[in-house]
Amino acid sequence: MGSSENKPELVINGKRTDGRDFDEMRPFSIKANVLKNADGSCYVEWGNNRILAAVYGPKEVMPRHMMEPDRAIIKCRYAMAPFSSLSDHGRTGPNRRAIEISKVIKEVFENVVVLREYPASEIDIFIEVLQGDGGTRAAGITAAAVALANAGIQMRDLPYAISVGRIGEHIAIDFNMIEDNYSDSDMPMAIAPRNGEILLLQMDGGLDRAQVSKALQMAIDAGKVISKAQSDALREVYGNAAGV
Amino acid sequence: MKQIIVPGEVVSQSQARMDNAYVENGKTYSKVMGLYDEEHKSVIPLEGPWKPRIDDAVIGIVSEEKNKVYEVDLGFFGRTLLIVGKFDRESYKVGDIIEATIKDIEDRKTIILTRARPLEGGTVLAVKPAKVARVIGKANTMVKQISEAAKTYIIVGMNGMIWMRGGNIALATEAIRKIEAEAHISGLTERIRLMLEQNKGS
Repeated sequence: MGSSENKPELVINGKRTDGRDFDEMRPFSIKANVLKNADGSCYVEWGNNRILAAVYGPKEVMPRHMMEPDRAIIKCRYAMAPFSSLSDHGRTGPNRRAIEISKVIKEVFENVVVLREYPASEIDIFIEVLQGDGGTRAAGITAAAVALANAGIQMRDLPYAISVGRIGEHIAIDFNMIEDNYSDSDMPMAIAPRNGEILLLQMDGGLDRAQVSKALQMAIDAGKVISKAQSDALREVYGNAAGV
Repeated sequence: MKQIIVPGEVVSQSQARMDNAYVENGKTYSKVMGLYDEEHKSVIPLEGPWKPRIDDAVIGIVSEEKNKVYEVDLGFFGRTLLIVGKFDRESYKVGDIIEATIKDIEDRKTIILTRARPLEGGTVLAVKPAKVARVIGKANTMVKQISEAAKTYIIVGMNGMIWMRGGNIALATEAIRKIEAEAHISGLTERIRLMLEQNKGS
């Protein structure tokens, strides 16, 4: 959160700073199977975000004592490249923020991957932010879901994530960096589209009850577009060939 | 009619028991990125790791040796052990290519091999385990077709390793790579036959 002094104007003539409507997402594209060495991979361009996700596994659990005899464990590493952002991400390696995001993303996928199919093994998810402009954890989850499916890992659903929030009196979707820092509330969420299960919900700032349900509805509506892009990206790998 | 499906996609509006799918609230959903075969009511995965089963014939490379217990690389994440019994050849060296059968799987991560035999010479090619069934074909038709056209001796391991010796190995490799890339498009056998015929002439 930025300081409330020198707060920039976030709404100009009823539009947002980058000219979007309140319920309008940034343009995005998803591409699956971009890395040959990984078992599954995905590249997402989301506004100015550039995110690469890779999945390896199932493989041997390291260190051994973390092994679960009846199910797989998931490890997740979210990291921002040193050159990814204007603000301070100059040091490589995980910092407090990256460790937290890695943990919540891990928990998202523990709830959709069929862990019992892969006993005594480990599935690694790597999310690398090459360029960040707000909403990287949401775009990272969207990318990682595609990478997992591309790796052939069994999942109950293909989750997506998006951030919603409040700018003054307006409920808006998909915050960029400025809005992320100076808006009144920011709520990233991950949803399983099949049954609407909420897999991740974090919030900065405040929302009242009516605002939460409006924001949730906005996220679900946007999710239809994101889910379609995700499955289209996966189909694209096989040349859209609906084998007759 | 087959169609590409993604995880969480509905494959049937009613309860249906099939591999790689699950039932919830009376509907059947896919668990994998795969093809749904409406005719046979089955979900065929397009990607994914190999799941070892007892009696699978596999091909591997001996990677370690200790007191007549050999560790074999099958491309599987767990350990693979070959314990030499009285029906097996006495000893192997590290780097030997072997064909063997899975005798047992302990704790779902340690594979015990049996009935091993060495494969002399030749080369090993690794394909995606999800495509092995297509490389073999229905009743071995596909592998037989390649074998005859290229005059190569081919053994396919269920773990995705393929051993080849003699004949036109380059042609056989090309055909197998083509199968791997186009396994999901129908009319595969016909396209491979054409490809083999064209290359045989040249």
